Amino acid sequence: MTETLSSVNLDAALSKGGAAAAGLTRLWESLWQQDHVPPALLELCRLNFARLYNDTAELGAAMPYLPTDAVTADRRQAVIEGKAHDSALFSEAEKAALFFAEYYWMDAQSITDEAADAVKAHFGEPGLVLLIEALGCIDARIRTARCLRDMAAFAPAMEATYVR
Amino acid sequence: MSAKPRATGPGTQTGNVIRDSAMGLVPETVSHIIALNGSVWRDSLVTPSLLEIVRLRNARTVNCVICRSVRYDVARQDGLTEDRADMVADGYEQSALTTREKAALTLADSYLGFPAGVNADAAKQITGEFSEAEIASLLVALMNFNISSRTAVSIGGMPENPLPIMEVSLAIAAD
Repeated sequence: MTETLSSVNLDAALSKGGAAAAGLTRLWESLWQQDHVPPALLELCRLNFARLYNDTAELGAAMPYLPTDAVTADRRQAVIEGKAHDSALFSEAEKAALFFAEYYWMDAQSITDEAADAVKAHFGEPGLVLLIEALGCIDARIRTARCLRDMAAFAPAMEATYVR
Repeated sequence: MSAKPRATGPGTQTGNVIRDSAMGLVPETVSHIIALNGSVWRDSLVTPSLLEIVRLRNARTVNCVICRSVRYDVARQDGLTEDRADMVADGYEQSALTTREKAALTLADSYLGFPAGVNADAAKQITGEFSEAEIASLLVALMNFNISSRTAVSIGGMPENPLPIMEVSLAIAAD
């Protein structure tokens, strides 16, 4: 059985890069073990990025650090379809974070003070900082997974490593 | 870009610029961020000067004013001159950078693209210069630089105009 590389299963592929890769994994794991922003909301943000990138591998993945019922199927589907902002399935705090994530995805310079203030209103300054760090990690991992998948396709010798 | 900081630091003066910044508000992650930055510079499978070239390319693309002005001491000690740092600008393909440096920038541009992706020519260029382990190492470094610079821009308070070039000791941004 093959598992397509995505942001959630990237660490084994990067481990060839040495000690720094282990540090990256530790940072990644810490995002899912903090109390500032619910980890399930970070998973919703990951799915939001997957939708915006139209990244099939990412849309099909699920964050293994979370319980399988952490994000219900209807909430997951609403994010994937871009309907979260108008849905009663999401709290105002979740909508603020998902909205902020969309600015971040487009360009960090495009983030408005209003979008940041809305996040802070629900999660405080530490929550805003944690969300920014998490979005950076999620986006970086999506980018890297895309690059490694492409490299595997164009450089077949790498395929055994990067497409498990 | 917001000139007003959206979050302020914890008020500490540890001497570590990351811990004393707004990132210090999240103790669960800040030590990992600091350790990762140190490990990238100390443990990567490519030279510090090559890392700096990639870091500066990221800084240009993200338009992090502070990141663009910084030069890490370890990269300068490794031989990166300001003339070579200037070659990271657009048009680097025709510059006097080495084939290996250009391949690293091709990887950086592939990662930083919107959307990210590696085309066939880029894959050939990159794999022609770097082993799989070196590619993984470069990508980890790129991720570290990209996460840090976008975090800085997102938190706000960034100067609008370019800053003078300033050398930074790795010791103030690592563990």
